[in-house]
Amino acid sequence: MGGKRKKSDAEDDESSLAGKDDGQGSKSNKKMKMEVLPSMIKNKEKRSAVHAKLKQQKKLEKRKKAKARETAEKRALELGEEPPEKKVPRTIENTREADETVCKPDDEELFAGNDADEFSSVLKRQQTPKILITTCRFNSTRGPAFISELLSVIPNSHYYKRGTYDLKKVLEYAKNKDFTSIIVVHTNRREPDALLIIGVPDGPTAHFKLSKLVLRKDIKGHGNPTGHKPELVLNNFTTRLGHRIGRLIQSLFPQDPEFKGRRVVTFHNQRDFIFFRHHRYIFETRESKKANSEGKAKDSKGEIVPETKTIVRLQECGPRFTLKLISLQHGTFDTKGGEYEWVHKPEMDTSRRRFFL
Amino acid sequence: MPRTTTLDCPGCPPFRALTFDSLGLVKVVEAREKQVAVPRVVDRWGEPDSSKCVLAVSLTDRKSDPLLAVARKNGQVEVLNPVNGDLQAAIVNINDTDIRSEENAIVGLHLFAKQNLELASRSCTLMTCSTKGNASVKSIELTNSSTESICVGSSKTWSVCAGGNITCCKVDGSEKYALFGGKGVEVNFWDLDNCSKIWNAKSPPANSLGIFTPTWFTCATFLGKDDHRKFVAGTNSHQVRLYDISAQRRPVISFDFRETSIRAVAEDINGYSIYIGNGSGDLASVDMRTGKLLGCFTGKCSGSIRSIVRHTELPIIASCGLDSYLRIWDTKTRQLLSAVFLKQHLMHAVFDYNFNSEG
Repeated sequence: MGGKRKKSDAEDDESSLAGKDDGQGSKSNKKMKMEVLPSMIKNKEKRSAVHAKLKQQKKLEKRKKAKARETAEKRALELGEEPPEKKVPRTIENTREADETVCKPDDEELFAGNDADEFSSVLKRQQTPKILITTCRFNSTRGPAFISELLSVIPNSHYYKRGTYDLKKVLEYAKNKDFTSIIVVHTNRREPDALLIIGVPDGPTAHFKLSKLVLRKDIKGHGNPTGHKPELVLNNFTTRLGHRIGRLIQSLFPQDPEFKGRRVVTFHNQRDFIFFRHHRYIFETRESKKANSEGKAKDSKGEIVPETKTIVRLQECGPRFTLKLISLQHGTFDTKGGEYEWVHKPEMDTSRRRFFL
Repeated sequence: MPRTTTLDCPGCPPFRALTFDSLGLVKVVEAREKQVAVPRVVDRWGEPDSSKCVLAVSLTDRKSDPLLAVARKNGQVEVLNPVNGDLQAAIVNINDTDIRSEENAIVGLHLFAKQNLELASRSCTLMTCSTKGNASVKSIELTNSSTESICVGSSKTWSVCAGGNITCCKVDGSEKYALFGGKGVEVNFWDLDNCSKIWNAKSPPANSLGIFTPTWFTCATFLGKDDHRKFVAGTNSHQVRLYDISAQRRPVISFDFRETSIRAVAEDINGYSIYIGNGSGDLASVDMRTGKLLGCFTGKCSGSIRSIVRHTELPIIASCGLDSYLRIWDTKTRQLLSAVFLKQHLMHAVFDYNFNSEG
């Protein structure tokens, strides 16, 4: 890079002083790089020594920087000034590629679309969700265990043996029995690997890849959920597609959570992966730290009121799994003649900072 | 250095397009600038209402007095002015004989460009076809009000098929013939003047295993503007077929395209190539003289394509579908020129050819 810039400088007739400086700077920089770069050293011993030295230097520098930042902050606090702004690290999420499909809160068309979509009858509580859970044709070991846990997570869900029925026949049955959704757990090599959520009676059909499944008994210190209707947390479903998926998931759960149960089901979307967690929580009041309360007590010089602080404690109930959307089909399950609203295609992966949900 | 912005599309020539979506909204998309234009939504007609979901559209593009007919889910057919969206006429129930219902939605609509001489100038002729196969040709008077318009002159109604569901209906360039096809209905060819069936396709034979795929046509188009004998039909079993009514009753050319059902077919103005779009968002152009694929249009199109339209003057096509994008493509380079996000599932798109960017 340095070389190139130098060349352009040479070509420039009116190379300014700054430009010259820049060119020289890059030159010296290049020289230093030439000296230091450990990967250029062929002898392994020397290379590792240089590398270690570099690393040590970097570490020291970092520590120094952190210390300087800390002192600056402290001083600012003492002087009563505004502390210097905290730097926000650049992550893949906050440098996400701009997407025009992200829902805006003041979009009236979005709300009109919501009112007209397939889930609105469930979400407006005109209909209670009733879920049919079934499996693929062959199902063993982790599949049934996973299903029994799903049954405890989703209220008003019923497991039906798949037998040798076609999925379209199952759909018809579900339509007649007033089910609102069907969940199909697909297992491969005795391990659940896909989840199909079908809205009944008129779609849509979402196909998810299921991975990282941890069952309840494999979670350390897990709790056992109660039979209350859970609260639902849906995080980061921002785009139109994400919104739709969010509504699809929302329509699986009853819309009137029982807060007494203190049970919460979370679908957290991060970088197009939907993480499922199931927790129990409790709010506890505790005396806050002594040093602080003592100071306060001295001030008041009298009745010692123990300062209390509410804290939340979480206990995971399991299962724990990750979903990734593969396709969203318009209408109910139809692999041959179906129309897709969204399919993942390899050509869409142009950047790792591009997300669809 | 990772890229933090999206890739820009090269702009497209100035055009004006109307899109019709599942909430019954009509959106006007215009690209105005001379060279590199970025199309944007300039106008929106109608209020969002899911019962007004657009099912079929037809536009007569004349210099003077252009008309646009829109068939809605609630059985209403509206005639609009494509320039400003004014309602010219509305028919509440197009088929007097049957009840308005979900099963009997309008699937085909054609607005005749030729003026009927014996009628007054303030009228238009419409052909509609419902799912159950009730086709009718009617003349209606334009009244500029939302109340029901009166039918004037002769109205003809006939049944296209005995059973099955009609899904596609097309009128040829000379507006004398129409074809109908659908689920369980082989392609029919009708003479509109005396409402008689001229020709009926024959289903292809069962394959070597004796497996017969049931008939299910999803879309059809005539190959050329002035040749009514050749047409292309797409099937649900991802097959594209070329029929020639002067040659034989079975398809002349038939080939498969990808894995999902063909959802949209549009002809090119050159008279031999077509554009096909399928249920998973693949768009391709095919030379129908040989049945060879000319090339695919790649551009991250992820939802089913519902409609493809070719601009008659500019070398561009527009495609729209369930991913709610209106995409403009170059027909020569097959490159994506631009995409406009329109928020709803789009049902149809039409180009307004009389648009000049200065106006």
